[in-house]
Amino acid sequence: MHNIWLIAKREYLERVRTRAFLISTLLIPLLMGGGIVLSVVSGSKTKPTSRITIVSKDQQLATDLQYELEHGKDSQMTVDVISPGNSATKATLDSMLADKQIDGYLWITPASTSDARPSFSYTPRSAGDISTKSAITTALRTVLMRERLSHNGMVAHDVDSLMEPVKVDTTQAGKNADTTSSFVAIYVLFFLMYMVILLYGMNVARSIIEEKTSRVFEVLLATITPEEMMAGKVIGVGSVGLTQVAVWLLTAILLTSGSWISAIAGGKVHVSLSPLQIIFFVVYFLLGYLLYSSIAAALGAMVNSEQELQQLNMILVMPLAGCMFALAPVISNPSGTVARIISLIPFCTPLIMYLRISLATPPAWEIALSVVLMLVTIYAVLWFASRIYRVGILMYGKRPSLPEIMRWLKYS
Amino acid sequence: MAIVELQQVCKNYDVKIAVDHLSFRIEQGSMFGLLGPNGSGKTSSIRMMIGMTVPDSGSVSLFDRPFDRKNLPRVGYLPEERGLYKKMKVIDQLIFLGQLHGLDSITASKRAHTWCERMEITEAIPKKTEELSKGMQQKIQFIAALLHEPELIIMDEPFSGLDPVNATLLQDILLELNRQGRTVLFSTHRMDQVEKLCDTICLIHRGRSVLSGPMQEIKSRYPKNRVQMVFEGDASFLDHASVANAKNYNGMAEIKLHDGADAQLLLKEAVSKARITRFEVMEPTLEEIFIETVGDRVDA
Repeated sequence: MHNIWLIAKREYLERVRTRAFLISTLLIPLLMGGGIVLSVVSGSKTKPTSRITIVSKDQQLATDLQYELEHGKDSQMTVDVISPGNSATKATLDSMLADKQIDGYLWITPASTSDARPSFSYTPRSAGDISTKSAITTALRTVLMRERLSHNGMVAHDVDSLMEPVKVDTTQAGKNADTTSSFVAIYVLFFLMYMVILLYGMNVARSIIEEKTSRVFEVLLATITPEEMMAGKVIGVGSVGLTQVAVWLLTAILLTSGSWISAIAGGKVHVSLSPLQIIFFVVYFLLGYLLYSSIAAALGAMVNSEQELQQLNMILVMPLAGCMFALAPVISNPSGTVARIISLIPFCTPLIMYLRISLATPPAWEIALSVVLMLVTIYAVLWFASRIYRVGILMYGKRPSLPEIMRWLKYS
Repeated sequence: MAIVELQQVCKNYDVKIAVDHLSFRIEQGSMFGLLGPNGSGKTSSIRMMIGMTVPDSGSVSLFDRPFDRKNLPRVGYLPEERGLYKKMKVIDQLIFLGQLHGLDSITASKRAHTWCERMEITEAIPKKTEELSKGMQQKIQFIAALLHEPELIIMDEPFSGLDPVNATLLQDILLELNRQGRTVLFSTHRMDQVEKLCDTICLIHRGRSVLSGPMQEIKSRYPKNRVQMVFEGDASFLDHASVANAKNYNGMAEIKLHDGADAQLLLKEAVSKARITRFEVMEPTLEEIFIETVGDRVDA
């Protein structure tokens, strides 16, 4: 145990001390934070404050629009009204536009019949000023709708209440609501495992090749066993990945949970998990990570160079991706035979058993069995990896074929 | 007490026979040479002594007991193919390797500093291994093998790649450690290099022991029938009856005598004919003994 700890400690410290680790650990949260700040800043700028002029024969429509644009929900513009305009007005406005005295003008031409809508033409100073244009469009729609409603005999008060935006509250009641958050948790678990395995799994394999290419294993194996070395590597390199993910997750949680953020976002995303679910989440995530890292260790033991490793990259994530196909039958019947069998296959256990736990309540012995099976598999994979490693380094040269691997397992 | 004992040890890799019924004993406090050409099974034998591999048959004892991993921290091993973590600082590396051999980090650090002074590489301590020269890396590796003050020191081709100055430095250190009562095992294919160092040897060829025992005993088994001499004048004494064959390189002669012939008679004859500036009866070198022994076997 002491040797495993020493190997793990060395791997961890050597990796955490590198500049690359520091940069990638800090850069991602910085980018996250920067993105949020940017969206907040740009979000608060949505109310345009341009100065425009409305030219209209219809005085009522022009003042309604002026009020909406100056005091409405979405804009804080300064609006002048010219009513009615003539051909000289257009020339004056154009020159004002050129002098940058106004940001644009809206020319309203009344319709020929009273039923039809008038036609609108907006001339901006800069074609890129989309927010002003969209504010005008929204205001026009509101004004026209209100006008039409009151024209048809609706009281102004009713019109306002009708035009109120609809608010939908998310409420949670009992198990039904939990299903949603379970799904969120499952996808988070899947995504997290997939990402972490993809990002860090191969580091384990690479670190195992390191001793082979540098021939350090000769000295190490003079005191420790390949099994101890494999276990130490998986734990040490694995913890580096966990540290980085933990830093990222913590920053993400801190950033999103701030009240100012939720205030701006206009509501909270509720993911309610029971403490037990959180414990299972952590347990299955760690077990899954350990298992897949051990497989990576076995891959590293089999090859002699990084190039050879590249070709085996897909093998690592394939079983995990395969689990996604099993999701549908498990969701439709979380306690059925199919679900029970799949959840006990160690490569699928982390995702599928967790899904079952959050959807139904599987018997405790099944949960215990799944954990035991995973631990046994991790041990078996490491044993296999260290066997291959031991024989592989003693007869270094080429990558072993499958029959050779089978034969190597019998060596002592 | 036998520090290491191999009894009828065999090891095969696939179809290749690496070690074939090899037996030898290393006494406590001896300087033991495991000699043989490349690929004769030296490294395979050593790997079985330190449990990197297990013999297919036969037995290995360490410190007078059947092999037990618990005793491995009492062994210091310098592998033939040197390797250190490139990106790791020298001091961290030495502490790590010391800890693997059961030292605590403070002791390991203290001893690492002492050894680096002794090896004249104190400037390397804070550096990364990859920044060091090959020779310096070699020295670090020696220190790593000796840091935990092992009772048994196993060195696989220790002098390869060392310049004469550093080779002498290492030799002196090993002799000193040996005087302290530590047992040293060398393996090398350069027999001339360890001839003076070893008191006991085992010559192996194709995984088999062809010759083993105390160095002097082995050498005394072979006749001293080679003479090297430098002379001026008449070379006709080279036709003397005791001479089996002779090569004359302009006044420098290498002579092989008939078995049982007395070199003194040749010297008398030479003195009467020419002016002798040097006359030496040579001991057979290990290399010659090896070639003779293996040659015999190969012919047979």
